[in-house]
Amino acid sequence: MEKDDKSPLLLPKYQLLELLKTMLLIRFCEEQLVKSYARGEIPGGMHTYIGEEATATGVCANLRDDDAVFSTHRGHGHALAKGMKPELLLAEVLGKATGSSAGRGGSMHLFAPDVGFYGTSGIVGPSILLASGAGYTAKLEGSDKIGVSFFGDGASNNGVFHEGINMATAWQLPVIFVCENNLYATEVAFSYASKSKNIASRAACYGLPGIVVDGNDVLAVYQAANHAVERARSGEGPTLIECQTYRTRAHAEGMKDVGYRTQEEIEQWKERDPIELWKKRLLEDGVTSEQEIGEMEAEVLKTVEDAIQFARQSPMPDPSDIFDHLFSQEVHHA
Amino acid sequence: MAYEVNLPRLGWDMVEGSLATWLKQDGEFVKAGELIFTVEGDKAIQEIEAYDSGYLRILPDGPQPGQKVPVGTILGYLVSESELDDFEFPNDRTDSQATLEKVGSKELKPNAHATQQDGSGNGASAIRRINISPYAKRLAEGMGIDWKTLKGSGRGGRIMAKDVKAAVSAMELSAKTKEEGYQDVSEVGMVAPAKLETIPPTRISMTQIHRKIAEHMAASAHTTAPVTLTTEVDATELVALRKQLKEGLLVEGQSPPSYNDMLTKIAAKALLEHPWMNARIDGDEIIQINSIHVAIAVDTDRGLLVPVLRDVQTKSLRRIAHESVELIEKTRLGTIGLNELQDGTFTITNLGMYEIDAFTPIIDLPQCAIMGVGQIVAKQVVVDVEREKVAIRQRMVLSLTFDHRLVDGAQAARFLQRVKRLVEKPYLWLAG
Amino acid sequence: MREMTFTDAAREGLSEEMARDPMIFVVGEGIGARGGNFNTTVGLYDIYGEMRLRDTPISERGFTGLCTGAAVMGARPVVDFMFLDFELDALGDIINQTSRLRWMSNGQVKVPIVLRGGIGIASTGPHHSSSMFSLFMHIPGLHVVAPVFPKDAKGLLKTAIRTDDPVIFLEHKKLMKFRGPVPEGEYLTPFGKASIVREGKDLTIVGISYPLVEALTAADMLEKEGISAEIIDPRTLAPLDIDTILDSVSKTHRLLVVDEDYSPCGAGAEIAAQVVESGFYELDAPVRRLNGAFVPAPISPPLETAVVPNAMNIAQVARALVTE
Repeated sequence: MEKDDKSPLLLPKYQLLELLKTMLLIRFCEEQLVKSYARGEIPGGMHTYIGEEATATGVCANLRDDDAVFSTHRGHGHALAKGMKPELLLAEVLGKATGSSAGRGGSMHLFAPDVGFYGTSGIVGPSILLASGAGYTAKLEGSDKIGVSFFGDGASNNGVFHEGINMATAWQLPVIFVCENNLYATEVAFSYASKSKNIASRAACYGLPGIVVDGNDVLAVYQAANHAVERARSGEGPTLIECQTYRTRAHAEGMKDVGYRTQEEIEQWKERDPIELWKKRLLEDGVTSEQEIGEMEAEVLKTVEDAIQFARQSPMPDPSDIFDHLFSQEVHHA
Repeated sequence: MAYEVNLPRLGWDMVEGSLATWLKQDGEFVKAGELIFTVEGDKAIQEIEAYDSGYLRILPDGPQPGQKVPVGTILGYLVSESELDDFEFPNDRTDSQATLEKVGSKELKPNAHATQQDGSGNGASAIRRINISPYAKRLAEGMGIDWKTLKGSGRGGRIMAKDVKAAVSAMELSAKTKEEGYQDVSEVGMVAPAKLETIPPTRISMTQIHRKIAEHMAASAHTTAPVTLTTEVDATELVALRKQLKEGLLVEGQSPPSYNDMLTKIAAKALLEHPWMNARIDGDEIIQINSIHVAIAVDTDRGLLVPVLRDVQTKSLRRIAHESVELIEKTRLGTIGLNELQDGTFTITNLGMYEIDAFTPIIDLPQCAIMGVGQIVAKQVVVDVEREKVAIRQRMVLSLTFDHRLVDGAQAARFLQRVKRLVEKPYLWLAG
Repeated sequence: MREMTFTDAAREGLSEEMARDPMIFVVGEGIGARGGNFNTTVGLYDIYGEMRLRDTPISERGFTGLCTGAAVMGARPVVDFMFLDFELDALGDIINQTSRLRWMSNGQVKVPIVLRGGIGIASTGPHHSSSMFSLFMHIPGLHVVAPVFPKDAKGLLKTAIRTDDPVIFLEHKKLMKFRGPVPEGEYLTPFGKASIVREGKDLTIVGISYPLVEALTAADMLEKEGISAEIIDPRTLAPLDIDTILDSVSKTHRLLVVDEDYSPCGAGAEIAAQVVESGFYELDAPVRRLNGAFVPAPISPPLETAVVPNAMNIAQVARALVTE
C-alpha cells in the first residue's frame, strides 16, 4: 500500500486537541523521567519515547479500554496513550511501592489492565504473539475487542514476527501490528540488518495489508490505525502498520547518542518534531490558538509535576511481599 | 524558578563521576539544549546538555573539576532573570543529593543449604575416620552407647543402625533376649524405652531419711505459697565484727562465732520484732510462737538435716556459737536426738561456702519462712551517689522464702529489711 | 472399577473440562480433525470445531506466545506440543512471559495455561525423548506435573486446566497405553500430594514418571529376597510433596530416587537435598539416585536399553542400598 494522502480534517475539535494533549503528556513525562534518571532516582535502565509520540497517540486514540495493547521496552508512550495514569507510571519507574507493579517491574514491565494496557516488555518481539493471543480470545468469546502489538524495526527481524503475523493472518484474528521503525535497533541500522525495502512490504508474504505511514504525523497515524481497527473489528483480520519515525535521544538513557548516527540526522528529525508539526497544523487550520495551547501545556505540566511529587513521596516497597502473586494461591514449593 | 544542575547518571550502573570542565561561565545565560559542562564518565569525557534555560550560577563550594562525587550532586543552578539579583544558594541541599536508595538492600533469606564437605567412606583419608550414619548416631546416643567403640558393617566401614542395634542386643545379659535376635524396629521411635532397661542403671534404695526428706519437700511444695525475696546486704561491718571476735576469742582459746551464728542472733532479734514471721498455720488459725527456735541446715553424708537451736532470743552470741558447734557435730556423727531436730520456728540455710550467691530455699513446714545465705564477696559499690564515690565493700545476698498463705509481701520485706540493717550495722544489736 | 488407558483417561478429563468451560481451547500440530499424534483429542474436533481445536503451523514459540496472550485475556488454552523436544523452541517465552506475567504485574494479570505433551525415551531417538523435569521445576511460577496412573492423568489434567497458573503437564510415551482403574464421576486430583503406591519398610523408592512402573516390578523381585520397598509416586514435581517422602524415610531410613532424566541437577538431586536438609537424622545410608545415562537418547535397541533404568537396575541398586 502507498502512503496515505492528507485528507481534510474530519474529526471534531475536541478529538484533534486530545491528540495534542496526549502527545504533550508523553513528552512532559519523558522529559521529567530524563531528569529523574540523571539525578539517580531511577533504578535500572530506561528507554524514552521522545520524538515518537505521534505513533502511540494516533493508534491508541482509536482504541477502547477493553482493547488490549502489548508493548516493548520503549513503552511509556503506549502506556500513557492507552490511558495509564502518569503517577502510577512514574512511581513504578522510580521503583516505589505505589507503582503499577509495586516496584517489581519498573520501566519495562508496566501494566494497567483496567485501561487495556497489558505490559511493556524487556524482550523484543513477544508482543506480537501476545497481541495475537488477545485477538484469539476475542474471537473465541465472540466479542469485537482487538489486540494491538507495538514493536520496533528490531523485532521485525525476530522469528516471532514471522510466526505471529503468519498465524494471526491465517486464522484471521482481530489484531493490529504496529511497527515503529525508528531506523535503528539499539544502534544497528535497519538497512544493515535487512535487505527489505521496508517492513510493511513484508506483509504481502503473509497475505495481510501492510501500510507505511509518516510516524511523526499524528493524523496520518490516526487514519491508518482507524482503517486497521475497522478491519479487525469487522472480522477481516490483521493489518501491519509501519510508522516511520525517530527517537531523538539515545537508545537508553546514559548511552551515547551519536557514533552510529550523525548529529545532523538527529537535527533533521528534530525539525520534524511531531508535537511542533501538529501544533502548527492546528494553528494554521484555525482549530486552536496559541493561548489555548499555552493553557493546555500548563495543565499537562501540572499533571506531570503532581505525578512526580506523588512518586517521590511514595515509599519504597517492602520485600516481605516478594513471594506474593507467584501463583494464584499459596502453594508450597521448595 | 531555579533549576538544579546535577552530575548526571550516564550508564545505568554509574554511581559516581567527576566534572571535567565548565563550558559556560558563572553568570552566563544558558539555553536548554546547549552544552553546559563536560563529565568524566566510566568510558570517556561526555558533553552534557542543559535541560533548562537560565543564568548559570556555579556553586562556589561545589565539586571541583576532577573531584569524584556521587551521581546527582548539585553543581549549580540555572536561575531566571527575574530572580537573578536576589538569588542565594540554598543551605539545605540534602534532598537533592539524590543517591539511589539501594532497592533490595534488605537481603532475602537465601535457601540455607547445609553442604556436607566430608566425603563419607571414600577411604582416601590418611586419618582413620569413624563413619556413622546420622540415624545410627541418633540411635546410639539415645541408647547411651558409645558408638566410637562399634565396628561398622556398612560400606567403607560405616556404622549403621543395625550395628548399633546389634551392640545393644549383645549387651543384653539375659539369654531370653538373645534368642529373639533382631527386633522388629519398625515401631521404634526416637528412643527405644524397652531397650533402656537392658542396661541396668544404678539402683539405690531410699533410706528412711531420704524418704522423709522427699516427702517433706514435696509437701512443702504442694502446700505452701512460697515467695522468695532477695536483698544484697553490705556485710563489711559483719566481717569486721567477726574478725574482732575472732581475735578476741582466740586469745581466750575459744572458737569464734560463725556467720551462721551471727545471722541466727540477728534473725532472732528481727523475729521478735516481726512475730508474724515466726508463725505457723494450724487449721483455721495462725499460731505465733513466742520462742525463737532457729533451725540450721546441715549437710551430712546421710542427707540434709536441720538441728534446732532453741530459745535463741534468750541466748548470747557466745552461747549460740557454742551450742551450734555441738549440734552440728552431733548431726554429722549421727548422734543427734529426734527432739533436737524438731520444733524449729525459722530456718537458716547457708550455701555461701559453695560460692552460691542467691537461691530459693524451700520452706520447712510447719514453719512459714526460711532464710538462705549466699557467699560474701568483695565488690565495688557506690557509697556516695552525689559525690560519685565508690568503694570496695563486702557484699552478701540474703534469700528469704516466705509462705504467702500467712505472711504477705510487705511484712516479709520489712522483716528482711530489718535483718539487713542488723547485718549492716551490728551495733544496732545493742540498741535493745 | 472400570479400566482405561492413560491417554483415554486424560482425554476424558479434557473432554469434561471443555464441556464445562467454553473458553478452553486446544492448540497443537495435528490436534484438530486428526485427533492428535498421541490421540489426545480424538473426537473433540467434531464436537467443538476449529476455534477450540486449532491446528497450528510448526511455530512452537509462536503458538505458545499466542496462547499466553490468549490466557492473559481470559481464555484457558491447552498447548498440546506433542513432543517436549519441540516445545523447547518456546522455552524463552515460557520463562520470560508465561511463567512471570502474574508476578511482574503484581497479580494484575493471570496466565491459566496448560502446556502438555509427550516425554521420555521410547524408541524415539535424540530429538524426541526429552524429559527435562528439573528444567521446569527450576522456574518460579510454573507447576510441573508428571502423572503415572490413568486415574491421576485424568484428575491432574482437570486440576491443571482449572488452575489459574501455568502448568507443564508431562506424559511419558510408555505410559500412554498403560491401563488402570479410573473412578466414575467428577473428581479432581490435587497438586502437591504424593501417593504411596506400595508400602514397605526397608527402603523408599521415589519413581518419577514411567520408571515408577519399573520400580514396582523391581519391588516384587526384592520382596522375594526379603527386601521390602516402599514406592512413592510424587505425581507433581512442583509443588513437591516432600513431607510424604520424609515420613517414608523416617520409616525406612534409606532413599532411592529413580528418574529417566539426567542426574546432574535432576529432580532427584532436589529431592535428595531436601531430604538431607530436613531428614538428616533419619538417614542410615547416603541418598541414592538412579538416572538415565547422561547422553542424548540413542535409537538402536541395545543402546536404548543401556541408557534407561529398568526393573533389574532398580533392584540391583536397591539391594546395594539396603546393605551399604
